[in-house]
Amino acid sequence: SKKASSFHEFARSTNDAWDIDDEEDEDFLAPIHPSSLPPTLLSTHQVPPLPPQQPINTTIEPDTGPGPADRLAPPTAEVRLQHEEANGRVVVKSSSEAQLNTNTVRSTLQKQQSLPVRPIIPLVARISDQNSSGAPIMTVRDKSRLDKFKYLLSCPNTDLEELRKHSWSGIPREVRPITWRLLSGYLPVNMERRDLVLKRKRDEYFGFIEQYYHSRTDETYKDTYRQSSGPTPPSMLTHPVFERILFIWAIRHPASGYVQGINDLVTPFFVVFLSEFVEEDVENFDVASLPLDTQRNIEADSFWCMTKLLDGIQDNYTFAQPGIQNKVKALEELVSRIDEDIHNYFKRYEVEYLQFAFRWMNNLLMRELPLRCTIRLWDTYQAEQEGFSHFHLYVCAAFLIEWRKEILSMVDFQGLLMLLQNLPTIHWGNEEVGLLLAEAYRLKYMFADAPNHYKR
Amino acid sequence: MAYAYLFKYIIIGDTGVGKSCLLLQFTDKRFQPVHDLTIGVEFGARMITIDGKQIKLQIWDTAGQESFRSITRSYYRGAAGALLVYDITRRDTFNHLTTWLEDARQHSNSNMVIMLIGNKSDLESRREVKKEEGEAFAREHGLIFMETSAKTASNVEEAFINTAKEIYEKIQEGVFDINNEANGIKIGPQHATTNSTLSGSQGGQQAGGGCC
Repeated sequence: SKKASSFHEFARSTNDAWDIDDEEDEDFLAPIHPSSLPPTLLSTHQVPPLPPQQPINTTIEPDTGPGPADRLAPPTAEVRLQHEEANGRVVVKSSSEAQLNTNTVRSTLQKQQSLPVRPIIPLVARISDQNSSGAPIMTVRDKSRLDKFKYLLSCPNTDLEELRKHSWSGIPREVRPITWRLLSGYLPVNMERRDLVLKRKRDEYFGFIEQYYHSRTDETYKDTYRQSSGPTPPSMLTHPVFERILFIWAIRHPASGYVQGINDLVTPFFVVFLSEFVEEDVENFDVASLPLDTQRNIEADSFWCMTKLLDGIQDNYTFAQPGIQNKVKALEELVSRIDEDIHNYFKRYEVEYLQFAFRWMNNLLMRELPLRCTIRLWDTYQAEQEGFSHFHLYVCAAFLIEWRKEILSMVDFQGLLMLLQNLPTIHWGNEEVGLLLAEAYRLKYMFADAPNHYKR
Repeated sequence: MAYAYLFKYIIIGDTGVGKSCLLLQFTDKRFQPVHDLTIGVEFGARMITIDGKQIKLQIWDTAGQESFRSITRSYYRGAAGALLVYDITRRDTFNHLTTWLEDARQHSNSNMVIMLIGNKSDLESRREVKKEEGEAFAREHGLIFMETSAKTASNVEEAFINTAKEIYEKIQEGVFDINNEANGIKIGPQHATTNSTLSGSQGGQQAGGGCC
């Protein structure tokens, strides 16, 4: 079949592509298949992947251990982080605790799953740690991955390329905040400059607040403010931090203004930066109980990282949102190439891509996935060149194809729309996102650099 | 499920007036005080009965925010009914009705039935717009009018159903061209077999599952 041939074609042409990236493959490798196959192939459900956290049989994974340099490198990054926020409570949650919490969350969620229209997913489930799919114990592999990150982060000049490479398959929770600051281009790679730059940027942000925030109720900015505060958003978003961040961003980007959806994009940064200081679930955490300096730093860092993200996808949020229109068109084009059945099915039942994919693009799939998955997804988006602006398209295509069976079992427009608006991802965790990303990578490889495949 | 007619609706109005809550109350019979802001458009559906006939309502709930207007406008076309919603506790949402109405009239088919809804009637103590004002606006512009509460479910059924009744009457009067789908009305598979025997209507039900 067509699929099989492209599979082999792909396998042939990518056989050597993985030598450089072997680190990133481990999530998808089954024990009986060592690294001779690209991981993306294993992700196409032809070989069932390992349960994610099963300890690895080290005899077949010669590459997973850290190199000698890594072993010797002191884990200074963590120490530095703690030092940086001397006043903050830096706590690493014990894994057994995390597991317990996750189980409670999952059972609550399963009950909710039957609700038809956009159930309220408790924030706790959306932001709790990403280990919903397991990981009571840190495996040898996890440990060595973490060591690698710690090593990279402790170098006088962090090698961004290396950091990207390792981040692609997910960033360990402990080092995610600093890694995100680096990958977004907010934090300088040079260790010595970091404290200084952070201080300057944080001061600069609060300078904006001083300069503009009092004017939020002025006639000129009233709309911006009203819209960024919104009518009835979830509790955490009513926090003045979110209002301030969004207001300042909107004021500094008059061409975009404020579009609903941007508010969603602050959340992952805020939650990740907050996670450095919060032991319990972020939902129940009163940010005001943190030292003022810490609160301010989280806010300023969230602002700058969100700004960097939005810089890359600005035409998503300018007048008439041309970026989104184009991406939805590109998605349609891509799906018509990779899965004719789905494409024709949509045509037959008069489902338009814009009807479901607009939100996928406008909110970067955040409305379709639990927050823990978005955070994992963003590890990769920040590791990819043009992750948010370009790779996201392939992720959306992979995401759509993921529901192929369900889609093709619907018998009318209504069923299709209800399904596409409420895709059952509530139980998703790292493995599902990992598979999604692998498939997206495969699609990108096949279509991004082959315009003749891509265009009709 | 078999149906005699399918009507398409659109819900419009300023951000935060309770459009999504009205839809949720109507389709799921529940109220969600805290929810995500609507992005673009969202879809809902429910079956109702009018004059002994099953009528399927398919409803597009639109984002109220101005920046999404270019997306939401395209949903006017192909709607047989519109719920134009304001918030009785926020005067500005009432003041914007004229703009919404112009937009709707410009982009929809001329026979579209428009129901004006003053939502949040449970918040009497915070009321900024009198019921009489809503009634006057509706009279002046030829709309039907109701005050509703998505929270207590007061008048929510009625709002959706009365709109459907109005459309249904227009069909009976021959105002709507029901063979033109651009009017937001579709004849159900059952309808074609109304006069046939019991087995005929069962066949209709099956067909209803596979087509629309």
